[in-house]
Amino acid sequence: MGPLAASGFLTAFASDAVELDDFDAVVRLHWPAVFRFALASVRDRDAAETLTQDCFLHAWRGRGKFRAESTVKTWIMRIAVNLVRDHARNRRLQFWKRATAGALDIQTAGERLADERISSEARIIREERIRAVWNVSGSLPEKQRTAFLLRFVEDMELLEIAAAMGLREGTVKVHLFRAVQAVRERLGGAQ
Amino acid sequence: MSGHLSSREISEWASGTRPPEAENHLHKCGECREELIRLHGALSDFRDSLRNWSAAESPAPRPIWRTESPHRTHRLRWALVAMAMLVLLAIPVYRARERPRPVDTSAEDTVLLEQIDANVSRTVPATMEPLTGLVSWSSTSPAASGKSLPKR
Repeated sequence: MGPLAASGFLTAFASDAVELDDFDAVVRLHWPAVFRFALASVRDRDAAETLTQDCFLHAWRGRGKFRAESTVKTWIMRIAVNLVRDHARNRRLQFWKRATAGALDIQTAGERLADERISSEARIIREERIRAVWNVSGSLPEKQRTAFLLRFVEDMELLEIAAAMGLREGTVKVHLFRAVQAVRERLGGAQ
Repeated sequence: MSGHLSSREISEWASGTRPPEAENHLHKCGECREELIRLHGALSDFRDSLRNWSAAESPAPRPIWRTESPHRTHRLRWALVAMAMLVLLAIPVYRARERPRPVDTSAEDTVLLEQIDANVSRTVPATMEPLTGLVSWSSTSPAASGKSLPKR
């Protein structure tokens, strides 16, 4: 038995394959991450919902092809990444993207983080930082934004991100580096 | 490593590239560590706010995949194929039925030919036949015998 099997790595993938049998449970488990990724990428609630539904419909139709070469989460996120990319490339929808660009704002989300233990000044600073990161992530090129969201919002490992994006780990690192540099410049940390 | 981590090294560290020299430096240098903690804090706040916001915006999943049973899809597909085959088979049969059949006119032809034969074999046209009763066309007729017809 190899080290991977001994560490339970392969066992985890095998259990993922079984997990697909209960597709409703798969949806319940991964729906929030897919919707969140779609929402942060396209910044349109209705489009994000449609993309999320499409993602799980694709997963349902393609579940027979799932070979447990990655986790179910990585597999589903790969579908989501492709759908979001196709959505962004759809020029017809670009019009709606522009039209609704101002509709969604993360400010309300910052307000939801209101913590009674911190001062109102500290809260304002935090909300400004959140808004700055939100704005920067929206202006990043597609691959940088995708890598950034998967890493820092979905907490995915570099190898998982590489599998989800269909890229090599080194390429993911480059995209992440550029995204982080842009965020730091906006936050005033990068000279 | 002298001084502090460069801006590039800090971004690389945050992106997942973590060489041992940088790690050693971060153990010793509070300023660089502070910079990374500040960045990490901003990214964590961003993640938490996005998660909260998304959770509030997220609609309940509509299980549209349940309406698409693979067995039912296969059955429908086979039904469509069977229907197409039936239509393809029915077309030549329908065309063959619709084609005008040759009418059997042999009996009518026979009657017509008999009529033609009868007409051809007449010694006088049919319209003149009543006259034949008045006039004898035999060799004993007055004209034939050189006798004149009686005067009226």
